[in-house]
Amino acid sequence: MTDAKQDEVDPNAPVAGMDFFMQLEYHELLCPVVREFADALMDKRLIGHRCPQCGLVYSPPRGYCPICVVPTTKADEIELATRGIVTNYTVVTPVQYYGQEETEPFAKVSLQLDGGGNLSLQDLLEVPVEQVHPGMRVEVVWAPDSERKVDDITNRSWGTAEGAIQGWKPTGEPDASPDDYSDKVF
Amino acid sequence: MANDIAIVGYAQSPSLRQAELTEPQFLFPVISEAIERAGVERREIGFTCAGSCDYLSGQTFAFVMNLEAVGAWPPISESHVEMDGAWALYEAWVRLQHGDIDTALVFGSGKSSPGLPAEIYPLQMDPYTLTPLGADPVSLAALQARAMLDAGKITEREMAETATRSRKNAIGNPYAQVTGDDDPETLLKEPYVTAPLRRHDLPPISDGACAVVLATADKAKALSKRPVWIRGIDHRIDIHQPGMRDLTESPSTRIAGKNAGVGKGKVDVAELSATFSYQEKLLSQELGLGDGVEINPSGGPLAANPVMAVGLARFAEAARQIAERGKKRAVAHATSGQCLQQNLVAVLEGD
Ligand SMILES: [Zn+2]
Repeated sequence: MTDAKQDEVDPNAPVAGMDFFMQLEYHELLCPVVREFADALMDKRLIGHRCPQCGLVYSPPRGYCPICVVPTTKADEIELATRGIVTNYTVVTPVQYYGQEETEPFAKVSLQLDGGGNLSLQDLLEVPVEQVHPGMRVEVVWAPDSERKVDDITNRSWGTAEGAIQGWKPTGEPDASPDDYSDKVF
Repeated sequence: MANDIAIVGYAQSPSLRQAELTEPQFLFPVISEAIERAGVERREIGFTCAGSCDYLSGQTFAFVMNLEAVGAWPPISESHVEMDGAWALYEAWVRLQHGDIDTALVFGSGKSSPGLPAEIYPLQMDPYTLTPLGADPVSLAALQARAMLDAGKITEREMAETATRSRKNAIGNPYAQVTGDDDPETLLKEPYVTAPLRRHDLPPISDGACAVVLATADKAKALSKRPVWIRGIDHRIDIHQPGMRDLTESPSTRIAGKNAGVGKGKVDVAELSATFSYQEKLLSQELGLGDGVEINPSGGPLAANPVMAVGLARFAEAARQIAERGKKRAVAHATSGQCLQQNLVAVLEGD
């Protein structure tokens, strides 16, 4: 209300509303397969599970293939390449709401790794957002040994590896052909 | 007149204080077991409905991830309720009444361990008027128990006896979390958690899941030697604001029980979502369950309380009593909200 009179609080008026702020905290154990993924990241390795039935690679591993509905185990674990192709991207323009720390537009990209496996929600380094496009060839930039951490990895971090991977930078190679990644976009 | 729908498969996960696996991970074998037990092909299932709570998971749309345990490719016909899986079963039951599909998969799951239930449930149930007052579920249950004690409708000893029996029954239940053979006197020596409730009057904090497969009459007869028929099902809601209710009664349970047809025959066994010990007597009375009725042979929610699956587990346990233990007629009950605000009642029968 803009009327100044309306802003004056009448001490005898019934309470019509009140502020109530609440914060919920959650603490969850990392499930074993995500724990193995996190341990590998600390070791500068990317791992995943290859479905024994359809061959799709899941990274981080989930312990199952949701397409085939079969379990996957340590026997299905593979090490993934740390180079790949940008298959898709989203530019996020931050809106300043409470708790929002980003101020400038940034891109999150999906990657198809050489030899199989996909990662989503990755940061692209050294590329202005307006130049991001599918087909870019990129390679991993690990966080420095002393700063690398996996504290932010949760059971829901399917595809993200913030803290361990700083982002991905262009390799300088020519763009991949759409044939190399079409129908494989994660 | 509703068509008869049958339970043809069911499975549960163990109820754990803290599951190491994610919700989709522990749902995965539960759903597979229920489908396998039903003897139906996974791709044949006409409709899937899940019950879970994003507040418990601490993430929006967490239920979408749970679908990974179903096998949702090629795309399936599915739905979700932000309620116990028992309400997902109700939605599937309604869906099957249309007659164009013959099977449905229902599941409920939740992990209570990552957060603090006393903070989460009020936000889920009423963030506007009750939560700012700090009205958590245990405090509200204590108010209801106090009201019943003051009205002379229950004694603390009766509450302890319910807990004792639940814990003893749970010894034979591989999915149970709290078991024991203490006598009521021993339990009554324990201090109050929130007076008049002691620890044994409260449900455990649990992670767990349950899945049930339903089929229409012809399909059920083709699939199962002992289909468990849902002869009646109904759910009702009491006034939301607990201060506006007589907490020593549960009219919604009474009406749902009547509409489900509980009184139309002899009840052998009842699986009640008596999440707090005192609720068992209140529910039994509102449902008109006499002395001859075996209540919560599984141990009930006092022995295992996987929120969002605990009501559906009552269906699984009641169905087990008919399919595996030779019982003829069973009542399954689920509740939601504070102080038994919402109640769902079903009557299950063997052939
Ligand atoms: Zn697969």
